[in-house]
Amino acid sequence: MPEIKVTPLGAGQDVGRSCILVSIAGKNVMLDCGMHMGYNDDRRFPDFSYITQNGRLTDFLDCVIISHFHLDHCGALPYFSEMVGYDGPIYMTHPTKAICPILLEDYRKITVDKKGETNFFTSQMIKDCMKKVVAVHLHQTVQVDEELEIKAYYAGHVLGAAMFQIKVGCESVVYTGDYNMTPDRHLGAAWIDKCRPDLLISESTYATTIRDSKRCRERDFLKKVHETVERGGKVLIPVFALGRAQELCILLETFWERMNLKAPIYFSTGLTEKANHYYKLFITWTNQKIRKTFVQRNMFEFKHIKAFDRAFADNPGPMVVFATPGMLHAGQSLQIFRKWAGNEKNMVIMPGYCVQGTVGHKILSGQRKLEMEGRQILEVKMQVEYMSFSAHADAKGIMQLIRQAEPRNVLLVHGEAKKMEFLKQKIEQEFHVNCYMPANGETTTIFTNPSIPVDISLGLLKRETAMGLLPDVKKPKLMHGTLIMKDNSFRLVSPEQALKELGLAEHQLRFTCRVHIQDPRKEHETVLRVYNHLKGVLKDYSVQHLPDGSITVESILIQATAHSEDQGTKVLLVSWTYQDEELGSYLTSLLKKGLPQSTT
Amino acid sequence: VCVAGYGQSGGNEILQLLPPPTLQAKETQGLCPERDFKVECGGFSNRPVYSLKYVPDTSLLVTTGPPDSSLQVWQVSAEDSDVIKPVSAIPTESVPGQPWARIATISARAPWVLHGSRLNSVQITEVESRKNVYMAGIQTKSNDGFLESWELVLCCAKGQLCLADVRQPQSPLEAVSVPSAPCGERWCMGVGRGPQGSDSSSQPIACLSSGGHLTLTDVRKTSESLASAKCRVPSPSSAAEFLCVSWAPALESCLAVSGFDGTVHVYDVQSWDSSGREAEPIFVHKGHAFGGSDSSGGPPFVTVHAWHPQKPRTLLSAASDGSLHIWDWVQACG
Repeated sequence: MPEIKVTPLGAGQDVGRSCILVSIAGKNVMLDCGMHMGYNDDRRFPDFSYITQNGRLTDFLDCVIISHFHLDHCGALPYFSEMVGYDGPIYMTHPTKAICPILLEDYRKITVDKKGETNFFTSQMIKDCMKKVVAVHLHQTVQVDEELEIKAYYAGHVLGAAMFQIKVGCESVVYTGDYNMTPDRHLGAAWIDKCRPDLLISESTYATTIRDSKRCRERDFLKKVHETVERGGKVLIPVFALGRAQELCILLETFWERMNLKAPIYFSTGLTEKANHYYKLFITWTNQKIRKTFVQRNMFEFKHIKAFDRAFADNPGPMVVFATPGMLHAGQSLQIFRKWAGNEKNMVIMPGYCVQGTVGHKILSGQRKLEMEGRQILEVKMQVEYMSFSAHADAKGIMQLIRQAEPRNVLLVHGEAKKMEFLKQKIEQEFHVNCYMPANGETTTIFTNPSIPVDISLGLLKRETAMGLLPDVKKPKLMHGTLIMKDNSFRLVSPEQALKELGLAEHQLRFTCRVHIQDPRKEHETVLRVYNHLKGVLKDYSVQHLPDGSITVESILIQATAHSEDQGTKVLLVSWTYQDEELGSYLTSLLKKGLPQSTT
Repeated sequence: VCVAGYGQSGGNEILQLLPPPTLQAKETQGLCPERDFKVECGGFSNRPVYSLKYVPDTSLLVTTGPPDSSLQVWQVSAEDSDVIKPVSAIPTESVPGQPWARIATISARAPWVLHGSRLNSVQITEVESRKNVYMAGIQTKSNDGFLESWELVLCCAKGQLCLADVRQPQSPLEAVSVPSAPCGERWCMGVGRGPQGSDSSSQPIACLSSGGHLTLTDVRKTSESLASAKCRVPSPSSAAEFLCVSWAPALESCLAVSGFDGTVHVYDVQSWDSSGREAEPIFVHKGHAFGGSDSSGGPPFVTVHAWHPQKPRTLLSAASDGSLHIWDWVQACG
């Protein structure tokens, strides 16, 4: 049976190292190539040696697809393409292609320059890697080669995030990457058509969560910021330049406008301008509302949010600052944090996940005394809050997506198998599809049922329709023919034509059976008796009595002769061709039962 | 927190949810990261779940619902899976037309469930062995509760309270009080804990009618009511299925009432007397009314509410539009 094989190469249940290998109809595709931010050694990259031990990756893989620019989905790409070695095509959307290298370079700088790592990719490698990238548009069918095609769908989540459909012939797989089924302030919700793929691969990190209403979450956030600012404190919000930051900016801007607040809001420079530049450039990737108002007023040109200068951190009075990077592990946000940590009027709000080892993670776990460089102890008196604004699909979202796409099978990655049993049952019950949850390194095989198109010759078609009973359009009709497979085409022709094409002579197969009947009368009387009997029984068939004394039932021949030794026994010769096997056997058994005592 | 659906068409889910860490009783170290609920485990029920109770000290759940008055027992939280599995069913003699049973659970000598839909079919069954421990006798629909290990009190739909002692099985239940309110109303009740330190036999019982009458009775002197009042209800509700009244476990003299519309009222009963006049709630939770419409197109109404066992002014309420709220109120000062 044809099959699709899926092997996740990513790390455990952590957020990170997304990398999935898919084998479909002889093509091999790698989905995402992410890095794990929590490790500093080889564990941060997926184990590529699993793919092929000695062959070249370029020969084995037909293409690599990247879903979006988050480092846990593209962070290992330069390592993979330049250090491990891959020269084939890499597909991603236009915004992803534009933004990826920036984030990769940024991360490289921190890892190599600040942390002093040696075995890491270089700036040149990033550039060389991006040269292999082919950018795609939404809903554009891209032919990777003659048989493999891919198509991107809008996924929400972050700018440029896409879900990809991979299709070979009539088998297809849809990979969602990270997606969001509810629209937010600057991005729309994921959408896919009823493409009915054989397999849908979905992230399930948040599948066991039921999210609180977004309004409550936002209101909570705004309340905290407002309270801090009202009492003269400073609010630090560490963010990654691209992603949730824009969402929070729009939220604060709207709030400031509504409440007529005067405290300044700053967005740290560096990646800021580039970020806003890209949002403006890829405005079609944002949501409806932003696009509509773009003509009058660009949502990303903020009235209340200004560019930050390092010196401002020392200004007295309340302020809100968005600073990068997001986990307080280095850079400007860490600098500002150190300045403000000692004052309890201040607040730091972590808007997302923090990897272990970072300052962000430490303060979230409750640590209030941190050891900085040079053995300095920093006492944290400022308030620490954690508001998760990440845009991921929860269980309800996954169900919604499955309802939209109507896959035949579902595969969930990045969830803990024990905790997913209920969701698996829910999916199986509601949609009557199989649901798989492979562990990393484990291969799941999905059997597909592709339909193979076959050309039928006109002659055969005409013959079948001439054969009688009009076919019921809903029922499959059985027909006999010969299947010729030549090169890559399939043809269904009549047997005679097939023989002709092959230059073979047609052979006829004929069966003959002798039935003994006790009948002392003359041969021709026996024949008459048989004829009448058969005519009475086989009303739907054409039974004929020929002048030469034989009987035909359709194309089956029956002749009667006297037994050589016993005049009272007649021998009926029943002869039929291979095609009439069924009728022939039936006739024979009928005659063997004997003739009725008739009054002929 | 355990929630379940009561849709008629089957495929109802039972979910055990873990509320966000901010709402758990213990003092949290570090930070509470999420505002989200975690689905700890879930299961599927073919019948609508009208009543759901934990069996204390076990990992079992008991549910009841139409079409008959049998009970379903479920196993929650096995180590290796997050599925709530059906374990067994406690059958009852099903008389056609008999409504679904009300239940109460206790783990005294063994996990018991008190159940019945009519007074004449009230029984206590040991949950695990499904053995009948107690049976009783008379008419009309009921709403039950265990007072403490041996006594049980039942409230009938017509408003009578009946007391019985488990140690005397087979004895008929006697109605010990009749409410002084117009007939035609249906009643339900909530049993409170006695004041701290006093002996447990002075538990107050609050009875709520579908017309909004609230009567407080002391279990020791059930012949006369301690106090009564009327709560403001939009219109006497005919759908008395969702009437719910309960005492606050962590507050003195506070009870909550719901089931008339999309709100939950909280009352302080210390100031009540026997006059039966209208009482002012100290707080009204209106959140569900803004939720949009429920499946039948009307405004959502609150189906059930419960108090947080430890946090003093915190309640949970669920409504017919599928929403679950956890909320508290702030006492106005001065």
